[in-house]
Amino acid sequence: MDFRQRFLTALAHEEPDRVPLMGMILDTATTNQVLGKAPTDVIALLRKPLLRPILQGLMNNSWFWNRMYYSTASDILESAARLGFDANWTIYFRMRLEADAGNELGLVFHDVWGRVWELAPDGKGGLTTNYSRGLCSTEEQWEAWVGSRQPLFDRVIADAAVFHRRLVEAYGDRILSIGYAAPGIFENSWQPMGFVEFTRLVYQKPDFVKRVVAFHTDFYLRYLEAILGSGVDVVLGGDDLGQKTGPLMRPELIEKFYGDSYRRVTNLVHRHGKKLLWHSCGNIYPFLDRFVDWGIDGLVTLEPTAGMDLGKVREHVGHKLALVGNLDVSHLLVNGTREEIEDAVKNAVRGAARGGGYVLSAAHSHPHIDATRLRWMVDAAQQWGRYPIRV
Amino acid sequence: MHETLDAMKQSLLDLDMDGALTQARSIVAGAAGVSAQDGVNAVAEALQVVGKRFQDGEWFVGELVYAGEIATSAMQLLCADLAAGTRPRLGTIVVGTVAGDVHDLGKNIFVNFARSAGFDIVDLGVNVAAVQFVDAVKAHQPLAVGLSCLLTITAGEVGKVLDALGAAGLRDRVKVIIGGAALTEQFARDVAADAFAPDAVTGTDIVKSWSAG
Repeated sequence: MDFRQRFLTALAHEEPDRVPLMGMILDTATTNQVLGKAPTDVIALLRKPLLRPILQGLMNNSWFWNRMYYSTASDILESAARLGFDANWTIYFRMRLEADAGNELGLVFHDVWGRVWELAPDGKGGLTTNYSRGLCSTEEQWEAWVGSRQPLFDRVIADAAVFHRRLVEAYGDRILSIGYAAPGIFENSWQPMGFVEFTRLVYQKPDFVKRVVAFHTDFYLRYLEAILGSGVDVVLGGDDLGQKTGPLMRPELIEKFYGDSYRRVTNLVHRHGKKLLWHSCGNIYPFLDRFVDWGIDGLVTLEPTAGMDLGKVREHVGHKLALVGNLDVSHLLVNGTREEIEDAVKNAVRGAARGGGYVLSAAHSHPHIDATRLRWMVDAAQQWGRYPIRV
Repeated sequence: MHETLDAMKQSLLDLDMDGALTQARSIVAGAAGVSAQDGVNAVAEALQVVGKRFQDGEWFVGELVYAGEIATSAMQLLCADLAAGTRPRLGTIVVGTVAGDVHDLGKNIFVNFARSAGFDIVDLGVNVAAVQFVDAVKAHQPLAVGLSCLLTITAGEVGKVLDALGAAGLRDRVKVIIGGAALTEQFARDVAADAFAPDAVTGTDIVKSWSAG
């Protein structure tokens, strides 16, 4: 079987020749390790007075941003293919570098939906970004933000379509590029406001929250339609619905505000004859039946440090959902031993792979994930993931 | 319990901000016939119930956050009416998110709960360097230090804070509790923290047990 047959067979809950392998975001530090590239200390460059305005101007230029982002995604797929993965996420994202006096660097990213992302060293000589707060904490701020950015939203959708199509054309004979429509509707609703403000609005102004959800649902469906039209075989959606010990919001509230949106998303994907995988961090046990009800085809991540256990999830959902995950990234894929990784792969295969419907992957991605340990994961999958399963 | 105190407590548990604040204002205005201290105690009791519901899996982070917001707003009204020094305090906690990490949701929930429970909080904010924790411990002589860390790549900073407290000769004088998505019970043992808090409510309970001891 080739990578495509292997992956799609598994998603159809049939047994392929072996368990397929999928990569997550793959941070630049990890792809640099795979490709033998030196990191770029973007923060140091931005501290140089002469370079700073030039770099800021370049990053805020659409052409440059798209070129830079495509190059990063291209490195991700190249690395994933070289590691031996059958598939990998690809995400298009759009941000502007803006002055911010409250930040030590004096610069932060603003994304198109109204989030602030802080720039930080990734500990490997490069750059990482972290969501820190929203720019739309009131109803008026949110209305003003989305009201003035319609052309930008349209542009993002058009650029995302080109981005994904180019990746499929360049890598489609070597690896599946899983087009990720991110951020999701829930995250796009609350993160530009901040969780505390969003929660306050849920209880005090539910009609406004419904309007926000409707806006992001319409955007998301258009965004997803563009990705679906770019030639990808599988799409990934997602929203971080969980945190370390359980759901962020009461599942009934998520159903009330987002259930119909999620059903529209899965209906759209299925009308295109494609499968929808779904990413969520955190402990999401209370959502398992809802994922099935919403029509999602598979879950990606299943964070072990939040208590998610592949075997337990399989036991609960049977083969109603494909499962993609979930090797630990807090220790195992950072500094675990080869034996520990082999044991984890065997355990994952034992818990979820029988009958197909399982794809092996790291639980998530961050800059300290070690490429050598990803190779050990691939080696173990080659040995222990062969069908029929014998672990 | 008095009718007004019951109503305020129930409003908080119904996540009714307006109702809780109406009762708090009535107490402050002297119309309810109970003291502001009684009101503060009722809010703290309500938060105990909130915490129990969260730990039992009946309530989720959204409810925890909003209940904390209601409690904080009610406390602001009630405490403004209390003479300084009249509230029984459980001790001081220095709290912050470690260097390189800018996430503050979990930390802020902990701050709301611990403050409402009777602790004085010194909140250093996010992206806090080890030396800032050391300086704050020297300045405030807290019962405990709470370190929050969401990102796996900044988990190493937790150990740095503990090392810095040790190097400054302060480690024996203060308990250290850690929490956040990147951390685990095992991690707490590895860096020799005194406790790991899987959530803000449990964290508050742990520091309370230290205060009682």
